[in-house]
Amino acid sequence: MSLNLSAIAMLIFGCVVLYGGLVYFIYRALKSKKK
Amino acid sequence: MILISEKREHWNSRFAFIMAAVGSAVGLGNIWRFPYMCYKHGGGAFFIPFFIAIFTLGIPLMILEFTLGHWSRGGAPKAFAKIGRKWEWLGWWPLLVEFITVIYYSVVMAWCFNYMIYSLDLRWGSNSESFFISDFLGLTNIPEVLGSIRLPVVLGLLCIWLLIYLIIRKGVKNIGKVVLITVPLPTILLVILAVRGLTLPGAMAGVSYYLTPDFSKLLNAEIWLAAYAQVLWSFSLAGGIMITYASFLPKKSDINNNAIITCLADAGTSFFAGFAVFSVIGYLAYSTGVGVNEVVAVGPELAFVAYPTAVALLPFAAAFFGVIFFVALLTFGIDSAFSMVEPLPVGITDKWKVNKQKVTGIVCLIGFLAGLIYTTGSGLHWLNITDNFIATYGLALIALFECVIVGYMFNIRKLRKHANDVSEVKIGRWWEILIKYVNPVILISLFVMFTYENITKGYEGYSTFALLIGGMVLALVAFLLSFVFMKVKGEETL
Repeated sequence: MSLNLSAIAMLIFGCVVLYGGLVYFIYRALKSKKK
Repeated sequence: MILISEKREHWNSRFAFIMAAVGSAVGLGNIWRFPYMCYKHGGGAFFIPFFIAIFTLGIPLMILEFTLGHWSRGGAPKAFAKIGRKWEWLGWWPLLVEFITVIYYSVVMAWCFNYMIYSLDLRWGSNSESFFISDFLGLTNIPEVLGSIRLPVVLGLLCIWLLIYLIIRKGVKNIGKVVLITVPLPTILLVILAVRGLTLPGAMAGVSYYLTPDFSKLLNAEIWLAAYAQVLWSFSLAGGIMITYASFLPKKSDINNNAIITCLADAGTSFFAGFAVFSVIGYLAYSTGVGVNEVVAVGPELAFVAYPTAVALLPFAAAFFGVIFFVALLTFGIDSAFSMVEPLPVGITDKWKVNKQKVTGIVCLIGFLAGLIYTTGSGLHWLNITDNFIATYGLALIALFECVIVGYMFNIRKLRKHANDVSEVKIGRWWEILIKYVNPVILISLFVMFTYENITKGYEGYSTFALLIGGMVLALVAFLLSFVFMKVKGEETL
């Protein structure tokens, strides 16, 4: 059994919001540290 | 006597602080509660209210608590005393609530400790439910019948409290070193468990249950309140922990960004844990030939019944994955456990300038002794009752008071200015609006919902006597004690 399309969409949505957000704010933290 | 200044210890680094804050937030609930909440409330559709709750309640409250700690340079009692002398009790209340919480939380960790050892020979055999309820807990039918003290649980509890004492006795510098191991390690173990789980037959059926959205549920108010409640409990908010941790930050610290990173890391762990849990649930359903909805479990039932059953069915290295699972739970839990204890000695030391190591020792000893009630045959009943009243009601009420007092009894703009002055990521007026208007409404709704449910449905069929003793009286004692702590004169440095 594979994942249906709506489940894949929610998977992508979750990853983008949580991990995308996390990576972005860690990047901001590192950038401000360099400054 | 008023002391003009004192040297306050600092975290070793910003990284250590974030690790400690994330470690505190990420606990057993991330593994055994969040995936189930998704399953129960519309699968992937739950992400929508959950993410909105993160950005409207979680992050604003986290910023508020970090700012309070950093601005006051003290634990929660000192922070609220600085807002106004008469509000000091609001600083003690969450500390006492968290201390009561850790008393039973440490017992659950003692169970994990025992199960880590039992995993070596898969001692639960083919009937993990009977093993857990009868052989391990010796569970009595009702809470009023105490039953006997379970020696393995007592020994596990002793080990947990010793560990907590050893970690926190030397303050945040030591905590900063410990979390460098206890935060990444369980995350790595979770990745191993998820990879193993996802490669098992039937795993995708479980994951599908976890992720497939039912958007019609979004029209139900219950799902929104459940998402807000999940954020409140999962982020270690309203417990005085984040205020205490932030009080040890150096003067120039990016409070706002630290708060956002902490919240997203905690939520990210919960999200990922869903794959580790539901893949194994899917495998369990596949192996036993039943539907996923028949084996899905939450809380202790998931950790000590469903997961061990699935582990016993693994084709190879079952003991290895059993040990990994319980080590992950232990290491996820230990950061939360010591973070729940630490604010109380810090609050006492801040106020009365006593020896922190001694206070920590006494607090840990009291925690261990009080926890013995939960090691009896009726322990699981009392644990359920205390958790319902202390964690559910207590945290929602404290968060509500925090928002109201900071929003209406204090110049909240001053706190926003403080946060923005030291942070690279700036917050706007939206933060004030959320703290003053939006979050109080949400928190009152949560409180009303809990109260309505408890009145109309009762709680798990327990007697009024048990609910009074194990829940309401304890909650009331914590509330009243916070005023006693406020009234006793100390040597303050406001």
